Amino acid sequence: MSLNSAKYVLTQSLVSLKRNFWLSAASILTVMISLTIVGYSVFFLVNTSNIAETFESQVEIAVFLNDHLEASQITDLKSQIQQLEGVATVAVTTKDQAIIEFQESMGSDSLLEDLGGVNPFPDKITITTTDARLVEEITSQVSGLTGVEKVRYGQGFVEKLIVFTQWLRWVGIGVVATFACASFLLIVLNIKTNVNSREKEIQIMRLVGASKSLVRWPFIIEGIVIGMVGAILAVALVGATYTWLLQYIISTLSFLPVVSSQQFIINVLLLMVLGGAAMGFLASAFSVRKFLNL
Amino acid sequence: MIKLKNVSKIYPNGARALFGVNLDVAKGDFVFLVGASGAGKSTLIKLLYREEIATRGQVLIDNVNLVRMSSSHVPLVRRKIGVIFQDFKLLPAKTVFENVAFAQQVIGKSMKETRENTNTILDLVGLAKKKNAFPSELSGGEQQRACIARALVNKPALLVADEPTGNLDVDTSWSIMELLNHVNKLGTTVVMATHARYIIEQMNKRVIRIEEGKIVDDSIEGAYRIVT
Repeated sequence: MSLNSAKYVLTQSLVSLKRNFWLSAASILTVMISLTIVGYSVFFLVNTSNIAETFESQVEIAVFLNDHLEASQITDLKSQIQQLEGVATVAVTTKDQAIIEFQESMGSDSLLEDLGGVNPFPDKITITTTDARLVEEITSQVSGLTGVEKVRYGQGFVEKLIVFTQWLRWVGIGVVATFACASFLLIVLNIKTNVNSREKEIQIMRLVGASKSLVRWPFIIEGIVIGMVGAILAVALVGATYTWLLQYIISTLSFLPVVSSQQFIINVLLLMVLGGAAMGFLASAFSVRKFLNL
Repeated sequence: MIKLKNVSKIYPNGARALFGVNLDVAKGDFVFLVGASGAGKSTLIKLLYREEIATRGQVLIDNVNLVRMSSSHVPLVRRKIGVIFQDFKLLPAKTVFENVAFAQQVIGKSMKETRENTNTILDLVGLAKKKNAFPSELSGGEQQRACIARALVNKPALLVADEPTGNLDVDTSWSIMELLNHVNKLGTTVVMATHARYIIEQMNKRVIRIEEGKIVDDSIEGAYRIVT
């Protein structure tokens, strides 16, 4: 395509966008909404997975022992547990230590007397694992050992978090797919309207020997522009709110392991722009193929 | 310039428009196509600028067969052919100058070349003073002149016209015919479909009469016989 033709194509795309201003605006807005949701979903999912992983790796297994075990039996148990695969550390908290710790945390030194001299705390062994996925396996093995009354770990919480993020992922994908379809269809409709409104012009272009690409490209460029403008608006919105939220979380909820890598954020935002452009291109190319008979 | 060899056209709906048409038009000729409505004049005209494709036979323009041609070559062929219509087909939102310049822009001519060629051709058709007017501000004759200017601006070797005076009064029609005659004298081959008997009788050009999809008469002297 010559420089003159390229100039013509670009001018026509912009003229067309302006001519169908409201429809173009609607298309841009839906692209923006769908990409905004994509952006937020990506950041939300990445962060929840990150949080889930961090919490998972911090899971401890608490082994409560039968009453009246001898100290030697407890040491035996401890060494047996230490030999299990995936066990990182094993720490023993005797019932005496437990009540003292509890008393200290309550700020009282007469708790044992208040309870009538009976220490309700069992002896306890705390296990940390090298891999969160081994927690269940270790738990069931430890349950079978003699002298063990019951075994507890953050039962439920980790699973719930994982299930929640998975569920969220599917909902996210569903919502994003719906909006992506809506944007696609709106761009298709937009380009179709433009093709129809320029029917006479296209007829004359064909008659005087304009090449097919010269007739098609203004529409395709227009689709790409719609996609990119929508994407840039979405990037501005998502980028600004995410960085604001990051700063807020880091200053107030510093224990939450949020993803704050600049490179990661830039990559996501760049992908959004590319996604918008690709969506615009595909939708307009589809529309041109379907509605523009050359 | 134009050679039709045993050309037939049957539309997809089964309508038979042309049968076994053979035709030779030399470079620089001026040819009228006459015949009743539905005889096949418009179909023949459309075959010439490849708006329609012959079902059988060959349509050769400058020895290029339009029947067997990849669609990517069609634009190049159309640049050699100017087309004018009864209803002008001007773009209402563009001025006369823009309408004519459009034909140059879309084949990739530079702004400078476009401006020069457009001004030259508007001079030729006598619309230089109206170049900034919109089609709605022009008379029918002026609109047809603008349409002719657009058809000629790419300097085609062949000008095809489908009833170009069909919407014009007698005086205006004559002025358009004088213009077409002038263009023909400058070297452009002209093929014109028409109903207007007075034009054919006075122009004294070659007349090809089509009836029910066949050429029934080809008179070099320009005599027009009434179909009985």
